Amino acid sequence: MALNIGADDLVENPTPRVPVALCLDTSGSMMGDNIRELVKGVNLFYDAIDEDDDAHDAAEVSIVEFNSAVSLIQDFASIERLNRIDAIDATGGTALGEGVNLALDTLEKRKSTYSNAGVLYYQPWLVLMTDGKPNGRPDELERAVHRVTELVAQKKLTVFPIGIGADADMNVLARFSPNRLPLRLQGLSFKEFFEWLSKSVSRVSRSTPGDTVKLDLEGLAGWAEL
Amino acid sequence: MANPRSLVPATGHLPTPRPPIGETPTRRSAEHLVASVLAPEDFVETGRRLFIDTNVFMDTDTARSAGLKMLFEHCKDVAIRKGNGIVVPSKVIDELSKQSSLDASLFTEERAAAVRRAGQWLTALESAAAHGLIRKDLGDGSNPYADDLFVDLFTHFSDRYDMCLLTNDITLRLRIRLLAAEAKRQLVAGTVDVNGRIAVDTDQDLYERGARKLARITRHVDEGLAKAKDYAEVEALAPLLDKFKHTFGVADIDARPGGRRDTRAATRPASQRADGAFKRVTTLKPKDQLLGDAVIPKSGDQVIAVSLHSRHALVLGDLVGEGGEGSVYAVRDNPSQVVKIFDKDHRTEHRKAKLELLLSHELETQGIGFPSHIITNGDGDFVGYAMPRATGKELQATIMRPARFKRMYPTWTKADLVDVCVSFLEKVAYLHSLNILLGDINPKNLMVDEHKNVWIIDADSWQVEGYPCPVGTAMFTASTITGDYADALRTVEEERFAIATMLFMILITGQFPYARAGADGGDFAPLIKEGKFAFQFQGASDQDQPEGNWKFMWSHLPFQIKRLFWHTFQRQGGSRFDRRPTANEWLAAFREYRDFFGGNDDFDPMSNDVYPFRFRAFRPDTPICVCPQCKRPSAIVGRWDEESQSYHAPSLCYDCNQSKSRCADCGKPRPADVLKDGRCWDCNRKRNYATCENCNREVAQTYLVDGRCSNCQAVPCKDCKTLTARTGLSYGRCAACVKKAAELNPARLCAECHQPFITFDHERWFRSKGLDIPKSHQTATKKPCPLRSTASRPPRTAPGSSPSSANSAAPPKKSFWQRLVTWLSS
Repeated sequence: MALNIGADDLVENPTPRVPVALCLDTSGSMMGDNIRELVKGVNLFYDAIDEDDDAHDAAEVSIVEFNSAVSLIQDFASIERLNRIDAIDATGGTALGEGVNLALDTLEKRKSTYSNAGVLYYQPWLVLMTDGKPNGRPDELERAVHRVTELVAQKKLTVFPIGIGADADMNVLARFSPNRLPLRLQGLSFKEFFEWLSKSVSRVSRSTPGDTVKLDLEGLAGWAEL
Repeated sequence: MANPRSLVPATGHLPTPRPPIGETPTRRSAEHLVASVLAPEDFVETGRRLFIDTNVFMDTDTARSAGLKMLFEHCKDVAIRKGNGIVVPSKVIDELSKQSSLDASLFTEERAAAVRRAGQWLTALESAAAHGLIRKDLGDGSNPYADDLFVDLFTHFSDRYDMCLLTNDITLRLRIRLLAAEAKRQLVAGTVDVNGRIAVDTDQDLYERGARKLARITRHVDEGLAKAKDYAEVEALAPLLDKFKHTFGVADIDARPGGRRDTRAATRPASQRADGAFKRVTTLKPKDQLLGDAVIPKSGDQVIAVSLHSRHALVLGDLVGEGGEGSVYAVRDNPSQVVKIFDKDHRTEHRKAKLELLLSHELETQGIGFPSHIITNGDGDFVGYAMPRATGKELQATIMRPARFKRMYPTWTKADLVDVCVSFLEKVAYLHSLNILLGDINPKNLMVDEHKNVWIIDADSWQVEGYPCPVGTAMFTASTITGDYADALRTVEEERFAIATMLFMILITGQFPYARAGADGGDFAPLIKEGKFAFQFQGASDQDQPEGNWKFMWSHLPFQIKRLFWHTFQRQGGSRFDRRPTANEWLAAFREYRDFFGGNDDFDPMSNDVYPFRFRAFRPDTPICVCPQCKRPSAIVGRWDEESQSYHAPSLCYDCNQSKSRCADCGKPRPADVLKDGRCWDCNRKRNYATCENCNREVAQTYLVDGRCSNCQAVPCKDCKTLTARTGLSYGRCAACVKKAAELNPARLCAECHQPFITFDHERWFRSKGLDIPKSHQTATKKPCPLRSTASRPPRTAPGSSPSSANSAAPPKKSFWQRLVTWLSS
């Protein structure tokens, strides 16, 4: 099999990876402070991973945005290959189902890259953030819910559904997470959330794959409502 | 350089002539054909060394003991004159002190006599040292076994000094004899004779003694009388004798009934325990229970440290680390100790009982974190334990992470990693001899320092006397372990899986033995269970080897090591898959690996690289050369071609061949199929894209005209042809033309009401469709003519002609609207 670009650091690092898929709502309602704080939060997440010895070698991050359409802003890459984000335009509708499906497709592709190269990985993470109600195609939403719950049931995915602000549809988010209630971000606590997320990534990367990792749910206090 | 100094024979025996260096291997067998007796004083001459092992001092044979005194007499003058005393390493002194301090009343008469003898010699050595006859300050305690210390010393200084060791241990004499076969200087191991001279066996005699020893121990094992150390001895001795026979060509004897029974026997439980060992218990203790509430101390708190004989207060210092079960603290004012404090969910009866049990044996060894004290809080509740502070860093944070490992220990070679393995194995073998299983072997429970010393920590998780190890790590968990770790006792066989995995991951710096291309790496239990070991061993190349340089690292391991790994990890066809090598078996293999470096079989200059970048040279005559492209030495190795029976050397090294194609701009090696126009994606983008000077958008250069993107280009309005920025156009027209198009054409009047009725745009539409232009409001807009003031805008029909409503005979009557307009415009 031919080596791809980016395969060098993939195969030369035997550390089992923690793939983290960020699936972010960039619909029109996110415009303004929401989207600015979100972008800041993501960049802070990158910095925190970069500085953590364990997470640095283990984390791989991808970003999918969804509004009226969906797009892969960042394919999975190690922290050294991640570009900081300048800004994201918030506009249009909330094609949440389509977004989750693209995030899962990207994840599947990455997992098969791992397998082809013989790289070990931890249970992947999906972070789903939205501030509204999905208004994409209903069948896409159903498919996304089905795929996520299936993977979670097989212990092949850990999902973190996060509601932003009062208008986030917590019922839909709850459908993605049968085991854990979705969280509602208090105010604009993106910074606190991403700090917690990076700590959790480094906690996982210090464990050995296959081990059950206890997430620091107490650490949620202060920025989220369960 | 040959050493011409002949040895003075003490008796009428012929001296053993030392052959010149660089002779053919036949000298190996020629050297010790005749038993010889050497003069000890020759070995205290400058440039030579004489060592004495512990067992010589504890020999209860009165004649030999008298002989030892005479030996000191013989050496006295020369040693003092040359300032080159007989070496009794500190390890031996320690061992003698330890023995002599034991309560001899509990021992058999013979053993009690040996212990007394140790005490006597200790005193004698003290005064001999004062006179310069003895040097006992040598050795640093880095090696837990005196035997290994001697082998290490002899290996290390084999090209600097002639050396002689006095020891009653046949195994050790065999090992030294084997070393001597390869060494540049004279290396001898012998015993003291009654005249105070050094008796050296012939090769054949030594071999037979060894074989008889093996037979004796094997018999013990078969009869169930063996002690733990006997198993270790069998495992070390059997391969040693094989090698000895191979090297010296000695004749076999019948002293080994039943042949090699070591491995089978070794897996059977020992029925008796070794000295200081714990009981072998195969029944699990009742389920662990949490101890009640207690105050958990933290940094800055005072706690009580309790050992068998002492009790003192200490203050917890800074937090050193946090684990899943508790926290480790420094001890204020005591840098050599740390304290582990359990959190409230891990303060359990088992942990308390286990630690008290371990403590009761008062064990202390460099490199093993035996508990030294039980720690209680101010109320006297058990909260943790104290242990010596380990040196170095977790393997997890060093060897298991190549990028960091290269930064931290840039000068380490493969031999250094082998030393780490040996250091690890020595400790594991010792713990096993005490009937302790480590249980949770993983790279966070092992520390390694810059001197390659390994520390084993986490004593509270060990499995001992029926207390299970309640934790585990998936990568190191044998497939026979299922369910909760705390619910069953582990078998030594399961522990050996973890040992093999750890050794592999040290040598291959973090790579998991079951990593394999094409397998889902998200769950290891199935990978371990399948037992498909992808690294190539004999046979054809396995396509499943994980990508990267791991295959090269594997390739350079010596055959014996590869064979042991392969048979241990490979379920299909592996002969040791369910009969895994013991720690001692690995230890022998890794010591041999260490000896391999710089030896005759070490013909590949890359064998000592931690990260070789090509496969190993097949044979000593395999051509090895520099790569003409990257200029790295020894980068190309010839490949054997069966058909032509010759070597074929590739023109470029593996890496250069892989990346023959390089980006023409940045020069980075990239596979050919991702290069476009000879450049990588990044460079193509850099080269082909630019920013529009007007809107700052990044666009392909081919779309830029005069530095502007197509959006920002000035294009002619399609009506008036005036140059206008594209953003200022609407449907191709400038704003003025758009406005104009929306106006009514004043030259075209409605046939009915004679008013302008159609816009320029509308007119154009009809024309563009090839239709006739309508003639009235009704036909153009499907609406009747609007009412209009005739006054304000007189009809443009010919003057005098009657208005269209001329049907009415009455004069036209002005509507209200018309009147209003007239008034307004008047």
